[in-house]
Amino acid sequence: MPDRQTGKDPHTEHLSDHGLLALVARGDREAFARLYDLYSEAAYSLAVRIVRDRDLAADVVQDAFLAVWKQASRFDARRGQPSTWILTVTHHKAVDLVRREDRRRAEPLDEVRAGADPAPSVEERAWLGVTREQVRTALRRLPDPHREVLELAYFDGYTQSELAERLALPLGTVKSRTFAAMAALRTALQAMGITMEDEWNTSTS
Amino acid sequence: MEHVDELIPAHALRSLDPADEQQVVAHLEECERCRRMLSDYEGVAASLAYAAPRAVPPPELRDRLLAAVEPVVEAPSLEAAPRSRFAWWPRAATVAVPVLAACVIGLVVWNVSLRNDLNTTKDSLAQNRTVHVDGVGNLVADQGGNVTLYADMAPAPAGKVYEAWVIGSSGPIPAGTFQGGGTIMLDLSAQARPGDQVAITIEPAGGSNKPTSSPVASASV
Repeated sequence: MPDRQTGKDPHTEHLSDHGLLALVARGDREAFARLYDLYSEAAYSLAVRIVRDRDLAADVVQDAFLAVWKQASRFDARRGQPSTWILTVTHHKAVDLVRREDRRRAEPLDEVRAGADPAPSVEERAWLGVTREQVRTALRRLPDPHREVLELAYFDGYTQSELAERLALPLGTVKSRTFAAMAALRTALQAMGITMEDEWNTSTS
Repeated sequence: MEHVDELIPAHALRSLDPADEQQVVAHLEECERCRRMLSDYEGVAASLAYAAPRAVPPPELRDRLLAAVEPVVEAPSLEAAPRSRFAWWPRAATVAVPVLAACVIGLVVWNVSLRNDLNTTKDSLAQNRTVHVDGVGNLVADQGGNVTLYADMAPAPAGKVYEAWVIGSSGPIPAGTFQGGGTIMLDLSAQARPGDQVAITIEPAGGSNKPTSSPVASASV
């Protein structure tokens, strides 16, 4: 039996994320608990950053993991990493919530930031082996305008036309800047040794 | 075929405006290459999650989630609930809501008195009792009579909400409203004692003080 306090379980501890998700697809709660332990902190941190409220963020993460539980059998392993999927689902739910409630124009992040970044308290499996520090470094190295569109789009839920309005830029400029910023971040992550699925890049139309 | 490369990174950020979004989604349906490109950029976007300030999720969240996916224990079927239980329900309240027929309603009941003596382990989950009804949802009750409803049901009809009730000897007590349309979690605002019923009705938006329609689901606690 797993230790409920740590989620450690000799049957799931050595499994890859794909292995865990395959078990979750068959209704394995221990594998589900393990996936939760590995990625809940990343998901929750993301949700808090987006919705700016700890209770709402907890609801978002709960929704996201319940979706993972229910849809695990439909996950296509060729389409990427379970961790990416979990964080994508969390991101969608959080952004949809701020758009619905128009929370993002509200309060500054100070309160949330003040309580952020405590010492690591739980085990965390980094996304594709990437660390927080690596991502932050990659982001810091981007030109300011690139970093700005990524943060406003990803964390604050701005659509392209909302970005154009906020930044007082033509929509076309925002679109090409978003594209360039994502491509630059992708290149930076690759340069740090993070493997990307690259097949689409070589095939032609 | 016209690919949508220039829109895919923004799609991965969930930043497209509706018209572009529709175009991309339609294209992805039929283009394996662009689906691979999207997977790639979803990875890039997901990496940004690790740039968010670290925040530690509350421990109760883990308990809640694991309770919500608790395996089947024993589930009184909603259909099996005898109609006579609601004989007292106001006749006039039988407002026909045909949409309901299509709704999948989730409600699970947990029987405090029956299960109190089981599983008195140190396991924190054991303090909460859950029963699952297949394809429906869960009701989780703690020792103090606090009840949490996890339900997966169709959205309430336009202009209506679902309202939960705790029904004891003094009649139905409003216990919270929700919209449906996905998995919801609702901490009932009224406590349930052994023998009480929990029921769900459809009510006008904003909820009612007294039920105005027949329960679409109910079970006794």
